[in-house]
Amino acid sequence: MSSHTPRKVYLVGSRIRELRKGRRLTQTELSDKIGIAQSDLSRMEQGEYKVGLDTLFKVLQVFDLKMGEFFGETESPDAAETRKLISNFQELSSDAQREVRDFVRFKKLQKQEPNPASGSPAVPNEEETS
Amino acid sequence: MNERRKHLEFLRKTAREAIWAGDYERALTLYDDGLSLARSWKDRDLEDLFTCNRATTLIELDRQDFDLSRLKEILLHSPSSYTGALASYVAANAHEARGEYGRARFYAQTALSKSRELGHEELTGTSLNLLANLELHESRFEAARDLFQEAVERLESEGESLSRHAAVATDNLGYCHIALDRMELGLPLVHRSLSVLDSLGARQAMDYPMLDLCFASVKMSLLDEAESWGIRALGLGKEFGREDVVKNAHYLLAEAYSEMGRDSKADEQYEALAVYYPDFPALKHYLRQISLMEVINLRA
Repeated sequence: MSSHTPRKVYLVGSRIRELRKGRRLTQTELSDKIGIAQSDLSRMEQGEYKVGLDTLFKVLQVFDLKMGEFFGETESPDAAETRKLISNFQELSSDAQREVRDFVRFKKLQKQEPNPASGSPAVPNEEETS
Repeated sequence: MNERRKHLEFLRKTAREAIWAGDYERALTLYDDGLSLARSWKDRDLEDLFTCNRATTLIELDRQDFDLSRLKEILLHSPSSYTGALASYVAANAHEARGEYGRARFYAQTALSKSRELGHEELTGTSLNLLANLELHESRFEAARDLFQEAVERLESEGESLSRHAAVATDNLGYCHIALDRMELGLPLVHRSLSVLDSLGARQAMDYPMLDLCFASVKMSLLDEAESWGIRALGLGKEFGREDVVKNAHYLLAEAYSEMGRDSKADEQYEALAVYYPDFPALKHYLRQISLMEVINLRA
């Protein structure tokens, strides 16, 4: 049984324009790929031109987007990695999540250690963190 | 009217009723019979008329195995007659079916001006309806609305016998209003159209009104209604082999189910839709999270 995912966004003309620019495509280039007139694409980006499913799916295919890109999450590679880590964390059992929190606390303490000469806190071995 | 003409007129009338009932194969057989008879009797006018009617039926069947240039010959050798105007109208439909919208517009305009000259209200109305559909294709909803409005007025002025054409134009007008978010204007028109078509047994023409009601219901978040209309539209689309209706119905049903939170039902519709787009395997995953309702045109 699937859980309900709330809808995130409507595809609108302004988003199509952003995506096109993100792909460094001119209106002429994109309209050629989709198979509509450039003037119609221009109207589409302004929200005046509505099209059938066949054309809409061509638009989405041309952009060949990752879902995050579509939603305008112009995230850096670091941000994407962070999102992935959070997602992985949420999939862990509560025990495993606690261990990860402990490890994060430990790493923060390690970072705050003012004098390396005084010795680093012991790094937990792999067994303890897994 | 002589007996031969009466017989052929009867064939035309019966074929037309078969078309409205969705029995295109029967209509085609009747038109083929009429065409053979007209040829054997060397009645050029009726041969031309049956050629036009037969081509119309083939277009309805999504078939292009007829001679388009023959229609243009009819227009050229009978430019001032009803048959010439009809040939132009059918040629416009043929070009529209081929996606040649510029040519379709030219022949539709020709049919309109000739039918106006002849004072033929039905052909004037159907030509206006076709021109309006061409406007809709290009997403010019206001222009289409005005043409549909005039088409409805022309067709309704012709009285009861032509109310099927009027009902189709009325539904189209209703769709324009719905697309322009004027539900209070659009919904009564679509319901009226559906009621007329139902009373006339024109089931084949009821798919788009149902689709339009599904579309409006999704827009207004009346999701149970959307489901009901969508299922009925889908059934008719499958029954009469209307791929455009089937695809739009799958999409709108998926939208409705998704908004209801019935994700597994929505997935069924997405999967059914994805069958038509084998080159786009990610379709379902996109549509689970992206709504196309703001950019979709059911008549494009």
